[in-house]
Amino acid sequence: MFDFKLSTDVSKGSSGSSRYDLIIVGGGPSGLAAAIYAARDGIKTLVIEKSAAGGLAATTDHIENYPGFPEGIAGSDLMDLFQKQAVRFGAEILEFEEVTRIEPVRKGLLRVHTASDEVFEAKLVMLATGSKPKKLNLPGEDEFYGRGLSYCATCDGPLFRGKDVVVIGAGNSGLQEGVNLLSYARSVTFIEFLPYSIAEKILQERTMNHPNSTFYFNHQVLEIKGDKMVTAVVMKDRATGEVKELPTEGVFIYVGYSPDTKFLGDLVEMNQWGYIKTDTQMWTGVEGLMAIGDVRANNLAQVTVAVSDGTKAALAAREYLAKLEE
Amino acid sequence: MALLNDEIRGQVRELLDAMPDVVRLVFFKLPEDQCEYCGVIEELITELAETSARVVVETHQLDADKDVAESYGIDRAPALAIVGAKDYGLRFFGLPANYEFSTLIHGIQAAGHGAPGQLEESTLSYLASLNAPVHYQVFVTPTCPYCPGAAVLAYDMAVASDWVRAEVVEASEFPEIADRYSVMGVPLNVINETGRVEGRAPQQMIVETIKSVLA
Repeated sequence: MFDFKLSTDVSKGSSGSSRYDLIIVGGGPSGLAAAIYAARDGIKTLVIEKSAAGGLAATTDHIENYPGFPEGIAGSDLMDLFQKQAVRFGAEILEFEEVTRIEPVRKGLLRVHTASDEVFEAKLVMLATGSKPKKLNLPGEDEFYGRGLSYCATCDGPLFRGKDVVVIGAGNSGLQEGVNLLSYARSVTFIEFLPYSIAEKILQERTMNHPNSTFYFNHQVLEIKGDKMVTAVVMKDRATGEVKELPTEGVFIYVGYSPDTKFLGDLVEMNQWGYIKTDTQMWTGVEGLMAIGDVRANNLAQVTVAVSDGTKAALAAREYLAKLEE
Repeated sequence: MALLNDEIRGQVRELLDAMPDVVRLVFFKLPEDQCEYCGVIEELITELAETSARVVVETHQLDADKDVAESYGIDRAPALAIVGAKDYGLRFFGLPANYEFSTLIHGIQAAGHGAPGQLEESTLSYLASLNAPVHYQVFVTPTCPYCPGAAVLAYDMAVASDWVRAEVVEASEFPEIADRYSVMGVPLNVINETGRVEGRAPQQMIVETIKSVLA
């Protein structure tokens, strides 16, 4: 239920060194998997994470399809294990530090600039910045953020004990976090744009069979309304055109993700949604720069896939670094 | 069963043994039937004191020791005052579990060193110029990975300035307080009641908020 573990972060930073073989920007599953492989290979590795290590996976209440955990595992616990494993092999993890710029200098040297004006140097950099929950850009969405509107049920769910909440989006994330919310809230109403849910069947069963859940399919949310706090969502039945207002105290938005790549400017090639294009070995096309995990184009937002990316990149990195030495 | 395993104790010991000043954790509790986590908190801080001689524990019943509580500005429990060579104004309300355990350890370190962690030059110079009280509250939940970043900034600022008092509040344990401040998302920073910053904000944004509420 609760545990007591120490983030590396808040108290201790990196070793104070500013030169590394490999810097991984982002401490989610792909970044940590790459760090485990690289550090175990003796590659001097630093992971820089802008909040606590673990990425989006750590804010997932429960992960049931990561192999090796037959009963499932809390996302934060799984990521804690990843982190421990990376640290055990000597990877350094710097948390609560945001990377603001990557500066390729020459072959074998890239500089990584951070928000607190630190500069780290590496021979190779992996972008593992992942993605963040997408906004719907609805009227009221910005206004009521933190005032009843949330993108993190794991963080804010406990504040909605005994309340009526709405989840916008009935895909995998929406239903997974909906299960979590159903354990706190009095009722959870799911609103989905499509006429059906694209989520895994097991999640659909769990939420739809729950006595405190209600589903509206084929409905479009038009507005988040409120006074000081959220009081209602306005939605439209896409079949009939009927508009109705649904009173609620909380709104959780799970309508997919967008990549965290703005800070890169036009450094790397991206697709139209801002995801980074790579080859099968995770190279971006910029010398010494790779991209792994959810930030990479055509990825699947699964921990297993992120781990696979991190592994492939670490193996390619070993080869690259060995060649640099020659 | 111990709350802290040997590995965690080892990490904590290394951090806390390095503190020049002893830190007193002054704990205010309620009778057991009124407080779900008081027993856990007492166990936790006792284990911290066992782990490092640089930490000592002092426990009070909130009701019985009203005067003591008042001297620390504490009106509800469970509450911890984290006191170093002097009282820098660091408080934690609720159970510092999961991600918030790191916040507690950081608070103890900041108090035990009498020095903030990583504050920017501009933040430090602004804090040095303060001449009015700043009540800096950060609302958190234990499952929020973004929260410790916000909370430790408050602690660092409190250690850096005698004018700043930093209270970290586990919002789900104090529903009335959470209601009073309309806490519907965490982390939430509230400065002198009216200044409100959602999320983990950069130092500069907190400084600007302090300036605007003091203006």
